[in-house]
Amino acid sequence: MSGFGGFVLRRGVGAVITLFAISVIIYVVFYATPGNVAQITCGPRCSPEQVHQVAQQLRLDDPLYLRYWHFLEGILVGQDYSTGTAVQHCSAPCLGLSYQSDQQVTELILAKLPVSLSLVLGAMVLWLVLGVGTGMLSAWRRGRLSERVLTGITLAGTATPVFVIGLVLMIVVCGELHLLPFPQYVAFTDDPEQWAWNLLLPWLSLALIEAATFARLTRASMLETLAEDHIRTFRAYGVGERSVIGRHALRGALAPVIALNANNFGSAVGGAVLTETLFGLPGIGQELVHAVAVVDLPVVVGMVLVIGFFVVIANAVADLMYAVADRRVVLA
Amino acid sequence: MRQSSVIARRLAAASVGLVVAAGAAACGPKDNDAKGAGGDSTPHKGGTLTVLNSVPQEDFDPARLYTSGGGNVPSLVFRTLTTRNRENGAAGAKVVPDLATDTGRPSENATVWTYTLKEGLKYEDGSPITSADIKYGIERSFAPELSGGAPYLRDWLSGAADYQGPYKDKKGLAAIETPDDRTIVFHLNKPEGEFPYLATQTQFAPVPKAKDTGTKYEEHPVSSGPYKVVENQNDGERLVLERNTHWSEDDQRKAYPDKIDVRSGLDSSVINQRLSASQGADAAAVTTDTNLGPAELAKVTGDKELASRVGTGHFGYTNYIAFNPTVKPFDNAKVRQAVSYAIDRSSVVNAAGGSALAEPATTFLPDQKSFGYTPYDLFPAGRTGDAAKAKELLKEAGYPNGLTVTLTHSNSKDFETSPEIATAIQDALKKAGITVKLQGLEDNDYRDKIHNVKTEPGFFLAHWGADWPSGGPFLAPIFDGRQIVKDGSNFNNGLLNDSSVNTEIDAINKLTDLDAAAKRWGALDRKIGEQALTVPLFHPVYKRLYGKDVKNIVISDWTGVLDISQVAVK
Amino acid sequence: MSEALVASQAPGTDTSVPGASGAHSFWRRLRAQRAALVAAVVVALLVLVALVAPLLTALEGQDPTTYHPSLIDSARGGVPVGSFGGMSAHHWLGVEPQTGRDLFARLVYGARVSLGVALAATVVQVVIGITIGVASALGSRWVDQLLSRVTDIIVAMPLMIMSLALLAIVPSSFPRPVLVTLVIGLIAWGNIAKIVRAQTLTLKGLDYVSAARLSGWGTWRIARRELLPGLAAPVITYAALLVPINISVEAALSFLGVGVKPPTPSWGQMLTAADVWYQAAPQYLLFPAGALFVTVLALTVLGDGVRTALDPRAASRLRVGAGRRRGAGSGPGKGADA
Repeated sequence: MSGFGGFVLRRGVGAVITLFAISVIIYVVFYATPGNVAQITCGPRCSPEQVHQVAQQLRLDDPLYLRYWHFLEGILVGQDYSTGTAVQHCSAPCLGLSYQSDQQVTELILAKLPVSLSLVLGAMVLWLVLGVGTGMLSAWRRGRLSERVLTGITLAGTATPVFVIGLVLMIVVCGELHLLPFPQYVAFTDDPEQWAWNLLLPWLSLALIEAATFARLTRASMLETLAEDHIRTFRAYGVGERSVIGRHALRGALAPVIALNANNFGSAVGGAVLTETLFGLPGIGQELVHAVAVVDLPVVVGMVLVIGFFVVIANAVADLMYAVADRRVVLA
Repeated sequence: MRQSSVIARRLAAASVGLVVAAGAAACGPKDNDAKGAGGDSTPHKGGTLTVLNSVPQEDFDPARLYTSGGGNVPSLVFRTLTTRNRENGAAGAKVVPDLATDTGRPSENATVWTYTLKEGLKYEDGSPITSADIKYGIERSFAPELSGGAPYLRDWLSGAADYQGPYKDKKGLAAIETPDDRTIVFHLNKPEGEFPYLATQTQFAPVPKAKDTGTKYEEHPVSSGPYKVVENQNDGERLVLERNTHWSEDDQRKAYPDKIDVRSGLDSSVINQRLSASQGADAAAVTTDTNLGPAELAKVTGDKELASRVGTGHFGYTNYIAFNPTVKPFDNAKVRQAVSYAIDRSSVVNAAGGSALAEPATTFLPDQKSFGYTPYDLFPAGRTGDAAKAKELLKEAGYPNGLTVTLTHSNSKDFETSPEIATAIQDALKKAGITVKLQGLEDNDYRDKIHNVKTEPGFFLAHWGADWPSGGPFLAPIFDGRQIVKDGSNFNNGLLNDSSVNTEIDAINKLTDLDAAAKRWGALDRKIGEQALTVPLFHPVYKRLYGKDVKNIVISDWTGVLDISQVAVK
Repeated sequence: MSEALVASQAPGTDTSVPGASGAHSFWRRLRAQRAALVAAVVVALLVLVALVAPLLTALEGQDPTTYHPSLIDSARGGVPVGSFGGMSAHHWLGVEPQTGRDLFARLVYGARVSLGVALAATVVQVVIGITIGVASALGSRWVDQLLSRVTDIIVAMPLMIMSLALLAIVPSSFPRPVLVTLVIGLIAWGNIAKIVRAQTLTLKGLDYVSAARLSGWGTWRIARRELLPGLAAPVITYAALLVPINISVEAALSFLGVGVKPPTPSWGQMLTAADVWYQAAPQYLLFPAGALFVTVLALTVLGDGVRTALDPRAASRLRVGAGRRRGAGSGPGKGADA
């Protein structure tokens, strides 16, 4: 148990350092991007005086290090802000207010996160089933026609950008065949059944893109495991091929799949921008791209940190599962 | 479609907020395809109207909205002193009373405007609407926390230039007087005959001071219109509006549906797919911000049923090439004229979506009567450009072997200032011996550069939309020398400071007879056109699908798009 | 020591060919796979098409930028006139909607950008990934900590967002294809570095590497002679997947408006513009999508083949479980090849 405790502690410290570094990088990079933030926030027809007032209100005239300090302060102790008519408190960890909408970034994230998680969790199940399934099948049926067909299908997914797959799927399934209504996000808490039906196409589009990578990886590592001594031993003892593949080889092959999955899961939380946009899912990715376009720094930093958080957590969980799946691995 | 266009649109909303926020609509009188689709075409009350939009209603505070004529969805909740006439075509470009009993009573030189409120006006909670609330609403729009509206109030009201809104400055604006609960008087620093147009903007909506929650007000603004906000999710991503039972004395908004369900953040190609499929709730759906794109138009024109569900409208809007005459070689009028002659408007129109979605423009003013449109074509380029004439002018200008220039454009995908238009121009000018290098900038960078007198490029793509359907807001910001902003966002791209132009602008602003003013705006447009500071390219045409059950389509020349206050779904 | 390793590792380090005799057996094993050979030919053809694009379009008599307004129907949104998107003897694959530009010319010129950017970005990613991964695995604890942390940061940064920001910062005069390559290459090397680090750690523990260590070989020599050959297989497998991913990223960046700039065509840009035309002018979408699919398929099969040929253990696996039992002769590792 002490090994586990130490693992959590080390990972925790590592995560904080990583997130801290990310926030600094984002601040510096976005400080350098073109675009007069105060003018964008105020509107193009604002006079220089008004722009100046807005800049003051958003503290845009402060030097970069002060602005960053203010950001850190918000995370640690929260921050007060004025709505004009009243003073409100954004409690720690406060990621600041959106320049554009004056909403608290933490509230914004809480509103968007369920959408992104719904999308990615569902898609993950599909891409694992599709990817690992076809990967296993093709390792088993190596060199046969069925393997080639499977490989072709999954690769077609990778080779086609999601905006093409998604749009064509939607036009055919919803527009022409009327099999499903056009997707429209329904919260799980409102209606789980509608939630699933509406997310089916987004899940499928996202999963098709990712499945091939998993299929290739599963296939490769299964083949690798199959060549290992203990598998040979099973074979030599006459354990059936199905059982060798399904139980013993799969277990050994899972580790890299888990690692990749963790990684893809984490980055898809904020990276499924195109899927979210195409299907009108109001998630993190869509909001983030919009925030980048209008140089809404607090929102960008907040959202990127959330995504980074998920990547870090997912990787730590992966390492844990890795250790469970493959006892040869020691937690580090 | 897709993401990028969402960004582009949002940016468009941020930059030329007037257009998108306006959500305008109108069926040109020549079109008859804007009628309800089949069956009983008499509109009835009831039902739910669904609105499928790409841009969320992020700003729903009347102080922050930048609209033309009060906007489309906002106009269901906010009533203003005056409003646009909800009629088809040119009649819809007129300004009419809304909360006020008339469109305003000017003093002799049009510097003082007086309005009287109708009797019995109430908010959604039944409390009375007073003139003080309208004054307070206007004052709020000066607060830096609530920036975003049009610049006119600050420019026009006496002593308002440095006012910082009611939160910081408790004394209020002396330029607005409210002698009693139903009277409001505006004192301007110069004659403005077009003040009634300005009074259509949402800043003129009443805001009860006791209910003001500052930046949070937009979550639930207090309604003076036919509907009230019952749900506002995710900063305007979804709005649900239901009947405001205290709404009265409104002869403009029909408000047939019982409920309005606005869903936004949708991909524009998905919106059009849904409207064309028109299944379930989408049969009673419209969009207030998404046009048919060229690919969708190609499909719709081949389908009679779909074609019957397309509303066509014209919003006052011009896409053009801007020259900066302080940059060589564009300091030479002959070079500017040569480009004007060489331009191939048909390929530019194709890049913008084809002849159904864009009309070639030779005037800066939009081709509508209310703007005072006076046709002229000073440098006739025909459909595809007059390369011979252009070469001749270049020779006279000292470039017998042609010349190489840089065209600056944005990288956003708006089909206005975007790479598609730029490459079409590049291809066309080749014929006249003008080699065009393209300088594509990221959108924010592009805006910063073109609106800053210090960095303004010599030759770039630009566009301008109408704050209201008149020549004033169309010509003055672009060509009035006194509106050159040296240390901020400048729109006078040609840096024109011509005293005869300035004087004429002042003279027209004194007119309170808007028809007479329109004629003179038209004449002024032609006069400015002689300087070849711009090459007008095209005026966009709006084509929008609506669901099968949607009736009573009204598309005015003011907004160019279907007016949802008139639509019925039963 | 490990800093020296980072510094001395030249780009394009010979990762795949483990010595002369190794090269010989590599080719022998590669040739033995028919599918891989076909894939190699397809890839070579694609590269050739990209290289001789001007010749091909000259043969057709077209170029990728000239507008043909007479070939499109302006009133219908600019849809190509004629059947199959205006295919004819003059325009082999028809023309592009709205502009009438020749689709064949745009497709072959687009191959230059798409393949060029994707391959070059992959090289950048692989080089950085191997450098960081190996240095991290072989370096001192502090070096490992530092480099692993940097890798974590890179992995945790959203690729799209950083690309958007970086592409906006760099002045527009910088050549776009190079910039896009660099941005993709410099941001998305995290995974390959992780894979390399893990693999190197495993290899480090193997007997033959320990033996080399004991016999007094320097770190650099061990890395070059013992580790890189062992890394080749996983790296090539992953790199074969990276190429199509990079093509998609270029497409996505085009989609977001920050990719390669017009009028330069790229497949990503074509797909981006074409998806809405799926119903009105399907061939506009199908040609670039088909080209992309063939490329990805060929690269994957080729990557598999190269991997199999490189790794004798994998070669033995050819005979495992697929019914081609020709006896099991597996080498215990790569020591013999070195």
